[in-house]
Formats: sequence, structure tokens, C-alpha cells
Amino acid sequence: MTLHHYLILAALLFCIGLMGAFTRRNAIVVLFSVEIMLNAANLNLIAFWRYGDNPALQHGPLFTLFAIAVAAAEVAVGLALVIAVYRHFRSVDLEVMDTLKEE
Amino acid sequence: MSEQIAFWILSAIAVLGALVAVRKRNLIHGVFALMIFFAALSGLFLLLLAEFIAAVQILVYIGAVGILLLFAIMLTERVAGDDGRRMTSRGWFWGLVVAAAVFVVLLLPAIQQWPTPEVTQAPDPSVEELGHKLMNPYVMTLEVLALLLTAALIGAVTAAQGMRKPKEEGSPE
Amino acid sequence: MSLELIRDILVATVPLLLIFPTLFAFTTWLERKALARIQNRIGPNKVGVPLTRYGGRFSLFGLGQPMADGIKMLFKENIVPRDADRLFHLLAPILALIPAMLVLCFLPIDFPWINNIQDSVKAFMLDGAVIFFFAITGLNTLAVFMAGWASRNKYSLLGGMRAIAQMVSYEIPLVLSAVIVVMMVGSLNAAEIANAQAGWNWFIFTPWGLAAFIIFFIAALAETNRSPFDLPEAESEIIAGYFTEYSGFKFALFFLGEYIAMFAISGLAVTLFLGGGAGPGVAALPWLSVIWFLVKIFALIAVMIWLRGTLPRLRVDQLMGFAWKFLLPLSILNIFIAGSALHLLAGGRLAGLDEKQPILRQLMEGANPLVVAGLWIGALLILYVAANGLNQLSRAKVRPREYKYAE
Repeated sequence: MTLHHYLILAALLFCIGLMGAFTRRNAIVVLFSVEIMLNAANLNLIAFWRYGDNPALQHGPLFTLFAIAVAAAEVAVGLALVIAVYRHFRSVDLEVMDTLKEE
Repeated sequence: MSEQIAFWILSAIAVLGALVAVRKRNLIHGVFALMIFFAALSGLFLLLLAEFIAAVQILVYIGAVGILLLFAIMLTERVAGDDGRRMTSRGWFWGLVVAAAVFVVLLLPAIQQWPTPEVTQAPDPSVEELGHKLMNPYVMTLEVLALLLTAALIGAVTAAQGMRKPKEEGSPE
Repeated sequence: MSLELIRDILVATVPLLLIFPTLFAFTTWLERKALARIQNRIGPNKVGVPLTRYGGRFSLFGLGQPMADGIKMLFKENIVPRDADRLFHLLAPILALIPAMLVLCFLPIDFPWINNIQDSVKAFMLDGAVIFFFAITGLNTLAVFMAGWASRNKYSLLGGMRAIAQMVSYEIPLVLSAVIVVMMVGSLNAAEIANAQAGWNWFIFTPWGLAAFIIFFIAALAETNRSPFDLPEAESEIIAGYFTEYSGFKFALFFLGEYIAMFAISGLAVTLFLGGGAGPGVAALPWLSVIWFLVKIFALIAVMIWLRGTLPRLRVDQLMGFAWKFLLPLSILNIFIAGSALHLLAGGRLAGLDEKQPILRQLMEGANPLVVAGLWIGALLILYVAANGLNQLSRAKVRPREYKYAE
């Protein structure tokens, strides 16, 4: 296995996430997609660390650890917002939430 | 040899899991597909000798984020999602085009230098060095992260709780 | 992938897959018998050697009962509700069993046959074995939710949601009390943790270790849905919770998974606090450590059965309040006490310790006995006062129930 295998896999996963975020209307599915993209980025970080010049510095796992913690915080706040929005609009459909748009 | 077999199997599972999670109409099925994706990624981290990250991936993503998503789905509408409404957003076509374009852009640098030299130096998979690093040079980061998580906890609770209605006379509670 | 590797993997895993299900059968018999005695009944006493004519005459205290139960389970009809999610209904019991079986390999039991296999196959030699243990046991929650949701039954769903809330809440004190042990050893490796307690240096004999063990055991009861925390399957309230729509072999798998999870979490408690395989005579006869390990597991299981026969079930609000208002602050305080005690014992030489050796033992070597005794008594006192105070605080809101529609 080389670095490129992992990079291409991560690129593919990232684009699946991007596709989901762009094409789905459900806010929760958009959150899924964001998680997929974050995970693809984490895979990249670990792959660079594994095949990089100086793995003893442990930069890859450290960066990933921090990214995972931030992502966990993001999911908690994001889902709380989804629930708050649902309480207001009675829907999690992203196209219903257009009150800021000019009529 | 066995590493290659494991890589191909795990990456196939990851890609399929991600695709199903993103395209499935039934949200509960989608969450479980997402968890399969997380588990496959944890396996890939193990292949890359990042043992601690693999454990944290299961602990945080499947154990915490997955459960949180399940709760959010149960608290909002239409779990099964099979009410015949349009699933995709209005600009889905352009979304697909942009995603494909980004994929090509990400692929280009990897293809340009295709035959890469095999790196033989394997990192030490022990948790010990990671712990030392977290306690010595990165302790400030860790503390800031703890603060961030606490802030996120409080923020999530207040956001999800919503506006408290004034208590009515004679109502229960 | 060499042949030796495959052989080593089989040698390391297959015995675990045989031993623990066998013990499971014995434990169900033990539980029925013990509960019966507590309730002044006799319990299973008829079934003897199965499939023979002498089954009735040599009944062997009903030891054949588990096998008869197993055969019955296998031949029962598999009923799936019409509106159920068929795929998830099938997958849930499997998902309940797999994590429980998987974590068994993180227990540092020194079976005689694993001495000749390579270290890389032994999961408990992993650097993060304890973290992996908690990560994988957490998957049990998903199986319970899956079963509850897939059954399309309101009682099942209620049970599933109760189970998630309960398991997520109690996982925090569970992990935080394990942190104490990790602090005292300086390693997450299960084998090193067990070795650090060789002789009588069990961590339950330190004040913070004792408190952590009690918290750990209570949280473990809740994690495995044992009484008094069996709200997810409360028969008298929500029929059987997430089990309601399960029958036959699928039900048997759930049952097996629950008991294997009990073994696994008791095994972890033994590893962390009760010295692993340590015990009298281990130095002379190494295989005794396996016996001691299993005996300690069964001692914990016996306590679980005893509690089931003795304590009534908690209410939902009491359950959550107990986890968040009592166990969580107490376990955080406990970590603080353990940290300060280690610091006081060290007296400034914490940095000069040998990283490969257990931290607590190194600190104890040169310590003044008076200081140690003072620390022990002080720590116990603080923990006792804190537990009492938290008990008062978390109880303040619980009033006698008000009946709205009766009398």
C-alpha cells in the first residue's frame, strides 16, 4: 500500500460527503455528509503521518485527535440547532427554512 | 499481502457505507450505514498503525455521535422518510457537478506523481509517545479543547431546550 | 499470512468462544437456583442428564435444565411482526452478541495454551486495550436500540430509548473509575494492569481504588441492564422492553449476549481492581491464575444475582439522577483525590520514575508508613463525607409520589 491509495480513497469519500451535502434536503442527512467529509480528512492526516518523513513526532494522531474532538462538539451543537429549528418550523427540510429570502 | 486484502475490503465497505448513508431515504438505515462507514474507517486507521485513533474513532463516532444522531432523528419528524416527497434539493444537479469537479481536482496531484516510492519506515504504534506529547507541548491545546467541549455542551443544551414558556397556573409540573 | 499466524489466531480465540458460552449455561442454572432460594422456592430440580432414560432419576439438582432450555429455544417458532423492519430485526441480536464476545479477548487470562503464541495475536497486549474494551462494549447500546426500533412496538421502542439513556449516562462513571487504575499503573495495557497487582497489591485495597470499584460495579450493573437497573426490560412496566417481539433463537442470542457482557464487564472489574489472576499459590502453579480469575468473575456474578433477588427496580428519574448527580461528581472527586494522593506520596519525584514500572508500587517503596496511613484515612474520610453529602443533595427532590387519578 502506498500513500496514493489512501489519498484517492479519502478524495472519493470526501466527494461522496460533498455530494450528500449538496443534494439532500434533510438537515440531518447534511450533517451525516459533513461527518463523512471530516472523516475523509482525518484519513488523509493519518495517511500523511504514516507515510511521511517523521512519524515519531506523532503529529498525525494528535491533529486527528483534536479534529475528532472538535467534530464531536460540532455534531452536538449542530443537532441541537436542528432540533431548535424543527421546533420552530415543524420540519427539518432545508428548503422550508427560507424566511431570510426576499419574496 | 494480507494488508492489501484488508485495505481493499475496508475501503469498499467505507465507500458503500458512505454512499448508502447519503442516499438512503430511511434515516435510521442511513445512520447505521454511517456507523458501518465509521467502523471501516477505524479499521483503516488500524492498518495505518494509528491504534489509539482507531479506538477513539469507535468510542466517539459510533458510541457518541451515532447515538446523538439517532436521538435527533427520533426527536424530529418522519423517521422512515417514505412519504413520497422529493428527497433531493432543488439544485441537486449542480451539486453533483461540483462534487465530481472537486473529485477530479483532488485526484490530479495524486495521478501526476503516480508511481510513489514505498516507504518502509513504520511508526511506533504505542500510545505512550502520544500521551507524552499531549501532556508536554500540547497541554494548552488540550485545555482549550476541554473548554470548547464544555462550551459546546452548554450551548447544545440551551439551544435544544428552546424558550421556556412561563408556567401556567394549575398545569402539571 | 502464514499458517502459524492463522493457527495462533485460532488458538487464541476458539477456546474463548467455547468456554464462556458453557459458563453461560451454568450461570443461568445458578441464577435460577439462587433466585429460587431467595424467594423460598426450590427452582429447577427435575431435568437431569438429557436424552437418557435416567434423566428423572439422577436429576443432579436440575443441572440439565440449561440444555433443555437451549433445545427448547432452538425449536421455537421465529415470529417477526408484520410491520417490523425485517433486516434490522434479524441483525439486532447478532449485533448484541458480537461486541460482547469480542471484548472477551481483552481480558488478560493466562490460559496455558496461549503461552506459546506470538504477542501480536494477544489482544490484551495491545497498548490501548482498556480503551478498546470501553469502545467496543459501547456498541451494545446500538443493538438494543436496533431491536427496539425494528420491532415496531411501542413497548420495544420505549425499552430501547430507556436503554440508550441509561447506558450513555452510566458509561461516564464507568470509564472515569477505570481512569484511577490507569493513573496508578501508568499504562492502558490490560496485562500490565493485572501484573501491577501481583501478590496482594490489589487496587481495591487503596481507598480511591475501593471507591472506584464500587462506582465501577454499580455502573457495570447499569451497563449490562441488570437489576436494579433493568428498566429497559422491565417486565411489569413495558412487558419486556426491546425483547418483546423476539422469540426462539433470536431471543436466545440476546440472552447469551447479555450474560457474555456480564462476564466481560466482571472480567474487566477483576482485571482493574481485583488483581487479575493474582491469588494464593499462583507463584508455584501458574495455571492457578486462570482458576482464580474465573473464581473472581463468578464471585462478582454471584453478587449480581444476589442484588437481583434483593433490590426493587429504580424509577426512571431516580436512575438518571443517580448517574448524573451522584456517581459522576463522586468519580470526578475520586480522580482528584487519587491524583493528589499520588502527588503527595511522590513528594516531587514523579518525574524521575521508571516508565516501564507501575507508578503506585514505585511510590510505595520509599514511603513513610505514617504518611501512607494518614493519606489512606484522609482519603476514605473525604470520600465518605462526599458520598453522604451527594446522597443528600441528589435525594432532595424525590418526594413521595402524588397520585393524580386515584383517591
